[in-house]
Amino acid sequence: MPKIRKVLVANRGEIAIRVMRTCKDLGIATVAVYSEADRSALHVRTADQAYFVGPPPSRESYLVQERILEVAKQSGADAIHPGYGFLSENASFVRACEKAGITFIGPPAAAMDAMGEKTRARANMIKAGVPVVPGTTEPIATIEEAREYARNIGFPIMLKAAGGGGGKGMRRVEGLGDFDSAWRSAKSEALNAFGNDSVYIEKYLEKPHHVEIQVFADQYGNTIHLNERECSAQRRHQKVVEETPSPILTAEMRAKMGEVAVKAAKAVNYVGAGTVEFLVDVHRNFYFLEMNTRLQVEHPVTEWVTGLDLVAMQIKAAEGEKLPLFEAPTPRGHAIEVRVYAEDPARNFMPSPGKIQALRVPSGPNVRDDSGVFAGFTVPNFYDPMISKLSVWGATREEAIARAKRALSEYVVKGITTNIRYLHGILSHPEFVAGDYDTSFLTREHTALLGAEDPKLSEVALLASTLHAFQRDQKRAKTLPAGASAGGNGRISPWRLALKSRRR
Amino acid sequence: MRYFTKQQGQKEAVPVDLEALGQDRYRLTVNGQSYQVDALSVDQGTLSLLVDGQSYNVEFEENGDEIGTLVRGQVNRTDVADERKLRMRAAAGSFSVEGRQVILAPMPGKVVKVLVKVGEEVKEGQGLVVVEAMKMENELKSPKAGKVTEVFAKEGTAVENNAKLIVVE
Repeated sequence: MPKIRKVLVANRGEIAIRVMRTCKDLGIATVAVYSEADRSALHVRTADQAYFVGPPPSRESYLVQERILEVAKQSGADAIHPGYGFLSENASFVRACEKAGITFIGPPAAAMDAMGEKTRARANMIKAGVPVVPGTTEPIATIEEAREYARNIGFPIMLKAAGGGGGKGMRRVEGLGDFDSAWRSAKSEALNAFGNDSVYIEKYLEKPHHVEIQVFADQYGNTIHLNERECSAQRRHQKVVEETPSPILTAEMRAKMGEVAVKAAKAVNYVGAGTVEFLVDVHRNFYFLEMNTRLQVEHPVTEWVTGLDLVAMQIKAAEGEKLPLFEAPTPRGHAIEVRVYAEDPARNFMPSPGKIQALRVPSGPNVRDDSGVFAGFTVPNFYDPMISKLSVWGATREEAIARAKRALSEYVVKGITTNIRYLHGILSHPEFVAGDYDTSFLTREHTALLGAEDPKLSEVALLASTLHAFQRDQKRAKTLPAGASAGGNGRISPWRLALKSRRR
Repeated sequence: MRYFTKQQGQKEAVPVDLEALGQDRYRLTVNGQSYQVDALSVDQGTLSLLVDGQSYNVEFEENGDEIGTLVRGQVNRTDVADERKLRMRAAAGSFSVEGRQVILAPMPGKVVKVLVKVGEEVKEGQGLVVVEAMKMENELKSPKAGKVTEVFAKEGTAVENNAKLIVVE
C-alpha cells in the first residue's frame, strides 16, 4: 500500500488537533472540516487546509458523509481519520471511503458491523466464548415487551442504545415506576445521537468496575493488547477520570483479560486501534460489555505508560505496515487522565457553553493537555461539553495523583463554568486515593466531591472581592467626566439622569 | 471606604472597611480584624495577593455586582456593594422561592419536551421542561409547589440563555 500523504480529519475539537499533531510529526499534510459554529475553532487553524461542511448541528455537517468525501476529493486527501464519535464507527462510511478510493484510518467495515450494533456484538462474543453480561441479544421493539423482559431479569436494569456510545441513550432503571420515562428518553437520545432508536436491556451489576483493554491489530492478523484502563469514575455513563494500570488488577488478571480481548478482536478480524470494555464484578469476574471500534478519548493514558503513539500506529497500520511489537509491553509507571467539561457540577452538571474569557493551561514535567479551545473561543452549544483532557504521568500511582492535582490547580478557565474543582474533589477523595472505586462512586459521593469550602480561602476571597470592587470603582472614577458619580454603575452621568427625569 | 459583602449562604451583609496605603498596599478590616494586604494586578482580572506572608493568586470573574473568585482551586461568589448600592438594593426587595417563580433557560439550547400545561398543579422538584444543550438532555424542575400559570417554552424550538420557559405561582 502506498504511503499516506494527506489526511482529512473528519472531526473537531481536541481529537482533531491530536490527530493533526501526529500527522505533522510524520510529515503528512492535514485537512480540516468545519461547521458554521466552528469557523474560529482551533482545529481549523491547526490544519494545512480547511473546508466548510454545513450548518452547526452535526447531522447537517460533520455527519454528512457525501460532503466529507467531496472535501476529501477536492483537497486531494488520500486518507480520512475519523477521530472518535461522529463517523468513527459508521460502517457505511467506511464502505463509501473504499468505493471512493480513500483510505479509512480505522477497522474494516465488516469488523465495525460485527461490533457496532451492540446486540449483534453480544451474540458474536457469546459465539466466540467471551463472557457477557446477562441481557437481551436483540433490540426490543415495544415498550410492553421491554417492560416484561425487565421484570423477568429483575431490577435494577440498564437500557442501552444499540448503536450507541458516550453514555447517550443509556439509563439505569431502578424499578417499574421509572421504566416508561427512562425508555422514552433513552430512545429519543439514541435517535438524536446515532440516528437509530434501537434500545436493549442488560442486567445491572452491583458495584462493578469498568475496566477496558486497548487492543491493536495489523492487516496480517497480528493482534496484541496494550494493557488496561480503569474507567470506573463515570457519571451518566460518561467517563470523567481514567487511569492505568487499574488499581484492582493483578498481573494474572491483566494477562487473562488481555487474552480475552485479543480473542474478541480476532473473532471479528479487527485491524487498527480498538477497545474491549469489560465490567468486573465484586468477585473479580469479568464480562464483555462492548467493543469500541475506534481510537478512544482516554488513549493518552495508554500512551503515557507504553511510550507509544497510537495515532501514528493507526496510520501505519492503514498503510499496511506490520505491528512494531508482538506482545503487550509491561506498564511503565502510572498515568491519570481527567476530562475537563464545560458544565456546572453544583447545578446538576448543567452544560455551560459560552465565550472563554481567559485560559491558562497547566504544564511542567509529565503533564499533557489535549485541548480544543483557546481564550476568546466561544464553546458552541451543539457539541459535547468536553473541552480538554488533562493527563499526567508519575512513577507511582501516588505521584500521578499528586501531579494531576497540581496540574488542576494551575488550570484557569474564565467565562464559562467547568468541572475543574470537582475533578480535584475526585482525586482527593479517600475512595479514589485507596484505588477502590466502582461505577457508582461519583453518584454516591456527589456532595462530597463538590468539595467542602476552606474557610481560610473564603476569607481571602472576601478580601480579594472587596479589593477588586474598589480597584474597579477607582478605575471607573478616573475615566468618568468630572462630577460623575463613581459609586453608581459608572456608565451614566448624573446630568443625563437629570435630563431624563425632566423629560418624563 | 466601606463596602458591604455577602458570600453564598450568608444572610447578613458583612461590612468591610478598606484603606488604601499606597503602592498596592491596603488595610482591610472585617468584623474588627485588620489585614495588611499587598495586592498587585498582574494581568487583566488576576491579582497577586500577599496576606501575612501567604501568597494567593486570585482570578476574577464579574457578573453584575457579583464577583466570582478562584483561589487555590476554590470558587467563591461574593456580592459587593458600596453604601449607595446597598440602599438601592434594599429598596428593590430580596430574592426568595416564595411567590411567582419564572423558570429561565440556564443555557442556550433546544426545548425537547414541555412536561406541564397551564393550570397544572406541580410539586416541588417536579420536572417542568427538558432542554437539550451540548448533546445532553436536562430536566428543569419546579423550585416550589404551585400552579403553572404561563408556558413560554415550545417543543422543538431553540432558546437563548435566560429565556423565559415556565411560570409557577
